[in-house]
Order: sequence, then C-alpha cells, then structure tokens
Amino acid sequence: MKNLEFFRNIGIGQYIDSGSWFHGLRPSTKYVFLLALSAVTIAAPTPLAVALVIFLSLGLAAASKIPVPFLLRTLKPIFPVLILTAVLQFLFRWPGDLSAPLLSIGPLSFTMHELWIVSLILLRSSGMMIIVGWFTSVTSESDAARGIEDILRPLSGKVSFVHRLSLAAATSIRFVPIVAGELEEIVKAQASRGADFGSGRKNIIAKAKAYAPLFVPVTIRALERAELLAEAMEARCYTGEGRTPPPRRPALRGDSLSAIFVVGFSIIVLIADNIYIKAWIRPF
Amino acid sequence: MSESKRETKGTNSLIRTTIVTGALSAVSIALFLTPFGYIPWVAGASLTVMHVPAILGAVLEGPVAGAIIGGIFGVTSLIKAATAPQGPIDVFFTNPLVSVLPRILVGLLAWVAFKAIGRKKVALGAAAAAIIGSLANSLFVLGALVLLGALPLAAAASVFVANSFVEAALAAVLTVALVAAWRGIGSKSGRARLADEEKK
Repeated sequence: MKNLEFFRNIGIGQYIDSGSWFHGLRPSTKYVFLLALSAVTIAAPTPLAVALVIFLSLGLAAASKIPVPFLLRTLKPIFPVLILTAVLQFLFRWPGDLSAPLLSIGPLSFTMHELWIVSLILLRSSGMMIIVGWFTSVTSESDAARGIEDILRPLSGKVSFVHRLSLAAATSIRFVPIVAGELEEIVKAQASRGADFGSGRKNIIAKAKAYAPLFVPVTIRALERAELLAEAMEARCYTGEGRTPPPRRPALRGDSLSAIFVVGFSIIVLIADNIYIKAWIRPF
Repeated sequence: MSESKRETKGTNSLIRTTIVTGALSAVSIALFLTPFGYIPWVAGASLTVMHVPAILGAVLEGPVAGAIIGGIFGVTSLIKAATAPQGPIDVFFTNPLVSVLPRILVGLLAWVAFKAIGRKKVALGAAAAAIIGSLANSLFVLGALVLLGALPLAAAASVFVANSFVEAALAAVLTVALVAAWRGIGSKSGRARLADEEKK
C-alpha cells in the first residue's frame, strides 16, 4: 500500500459560497449544465471537443468565483492511473490497430492509436472531475437534492416515489464524503496492523479474508449512520408526505437562456465533432 | 436504545428503506472512487465486489433498494468505461444495456433468492442471494456482450467459468459476514455500536 491518501485532493463535494450569479441559478438549471457538459465529455469522439468543454468549464468556474487551482488540484489522483493505462497500452495491442508506431521495443509498441486513446482518457477524466467539481462548488447539498426532485417530478405521477428517490439521492450525496473518510481511516488502521491489500497472494480465499476486515466495518458503519438518521427522522414524524413544499427559487431570466445556450453548445459540438472534426484530425 | 432498535429492525418503514438505500449507494460510490471496488487477481483479470452493496440492499431492504443500488453501481461502471477504458470491451460498457440493466437485475434476483430461502435461515438466505446475484451479474453482463457481438460465445463462456464462481464465493463470504454483523447473528451484543460511541 503506497497510496493511502485518497481524498486529500478530491474537491468534489465541497460547496464554496462565493455568491456569484451561477450560485443564484435554479438547481435544475445547474443539473442541465452538468448533464449536457458531461454528455459531451463522455461521448465526443475527439480530444479536441473534450478540451473545448474543459476550457468552457474552467471559464464557468472562474465566472462563478471558484478558484481554478482548487479545481485543478482534484486532477492529481488521475496521473498514477494514467501512467498505468499508458503502460497497459504499451504492453497490449488493440485488435486491428494498423496505425504508425511511435515507439517500439521488440514485439511491444506504442502506436498513434494508443496515444489517441491515452489522451482521450486523460481529457475525459479531467473533464468529468472539473465539471462535477464545478457543480458541487456552486450547488449546496440541499439544493442538489431539491434539483433531483424538480427534474424527476414530470417523469412520474407518483410524487411520493419521486420524493423517496430524491431523498435516497440526497442521503447518498451527504454520505459519500463520510463513507470515503471512514474507508480511508479503516484502511490505514488495518495497514498499520500489517494487513496486505496488495497483490502479494494468489489465493483468493486469503484475499477475501483480507478484504472482509475492510469492507465489513465500512458498510456496517454506513448502515448504523443510516439507522440513526432514519430513527431521528421517524421520531420527528417525517413521512415525506403532506409537507409544506419548500420555497422554490424564482426562475431568473438567465435560467432558461443559459440552459438553452449550454444544451445548444453541447449538441453543436457533438455533431460537429462526429461529422467534421473527427474526419479532419484523426491521424489514422 | 438497543431494545427499540431490535424491535424496529424487523419493520422496515419506507423512510428507513430510503435512507439505507442512500447509504449503501454511498458505499458503492465510495468504492468506485477508490481502488477497493476491484480486487486484482491473476493475469490482469480483476474480481469485483461492487455488486455486494446491491445484494446487501436487496437482503436488508427489499427489491426496490437492491435495484436502485444496483443501478448506481451500473452508472459508476458506465462512467468508468467512458472515462478510462482499458480495452476494446470497455467501449461496450458505455451502452447502458450492458452496464446498467444487468446490475438492476442483480438486486432484484438477489431479493428473489433471499425470499425463497432466507425466511428461516437468514445466513443461508444471504449466501444464496449473494451467489445468485453475483452469477446473475456475470451472466447478464456477458450475455449482453455476446448479444451485441462484443465477445464470441466461447470467450464469454471461459470468462464466466474462470471468474464468476470465485466472484460468487467472494460475494457470499462478504454478504454473510455483513448480514451476520448487522442482524447480530451469533452474538447478542457482540458488535460495536456507533450510537454508543457518539454518546461518549
């Protein structure tokens, strides 16, 4: 176990109340931003389009008065994974890869196609982290939960199910940092007692035995927290029904305009990327 | 405190189910964010324990919880495949029919198995749910890959034989340990309580 610090550099899930114009948008509008931009990040076939989205997101962050270095710091944990990916690409070949090799040692080679894939991986994962980081920086947890409810309401006539789903999502959003912190704590505690989570042993039973002391306490503690929370809510007669609806933020004119702009931008980038840019810059 | 806890544990209210669903989804997301969701095994293949929260949710809180947590696991694997593909097969995981739908079924089938067997013997039922859920995960994911033409049938069958039984055994060990620890099987007051800890 070399790397025990999983969460020091994760900026996801930290709300920064800088009071910008973007903070004042409706949560559902911010979800539209999140979904549209991540759709381009995941589905665009060229690194160029993904880089464009990353620039737009960093611009958004600057306009929302979020410190850009704070978002960029979240990218640090990607690099070890990226190096591992590059090594794997070097060792194995994609079937039907006839592109020019950039570097070859004996039967192993690193080709243009593999360089393309590694840069896509780098940009896509950076893009996702930046977009999600921006979203959680400008949306408080309760807004995030309310936004899910707002978005799902038209999908279902049964309000209570939608409410439960958004309550589950809200719980989940709040629990992730806690569970992650506890995971780190327990990994450290077990490692300091000599536990080995590496790949030393081949025997799968031994591996399972090594994982149980990690997996079981983390899950049980999450369940205990859930139990406490549910009990506290029941004690206060919370049923999710018959509540006075929380005041909704009045829609700004910017809400619909910016949502239309972002969705339009994403669609145009995706279409242009698939039809023109892909054929233009793909080198093989 | 502990008295009332035992009593209410049988009657799963809607709120409890909902909150536990959220908490187990959070465990699933935390495993996705760290390297611990996947256990490296021989020859580059890795075993996943990511489906265990879905199975546990199905055993403890019923089919809806299992399906939702399974769906969350599916979405995380979709994002993983889209942002960091390790090979040609990962491309197909960006299709929700491969990555999300089978995982929703994992939660549902695990619940069916637990209902069928676990009425009296909870531990046995949990083991059955884990094995059925885990095999369903492998079977449906590989099946979807074969249907989409990503894998030839023979390759899928060999992966199934090599991976899925070990994965099922691993899931069974973990699920039984979790259910036993949570339901207090084997000892009446053997487990540490967070509630007591926080009072101090």
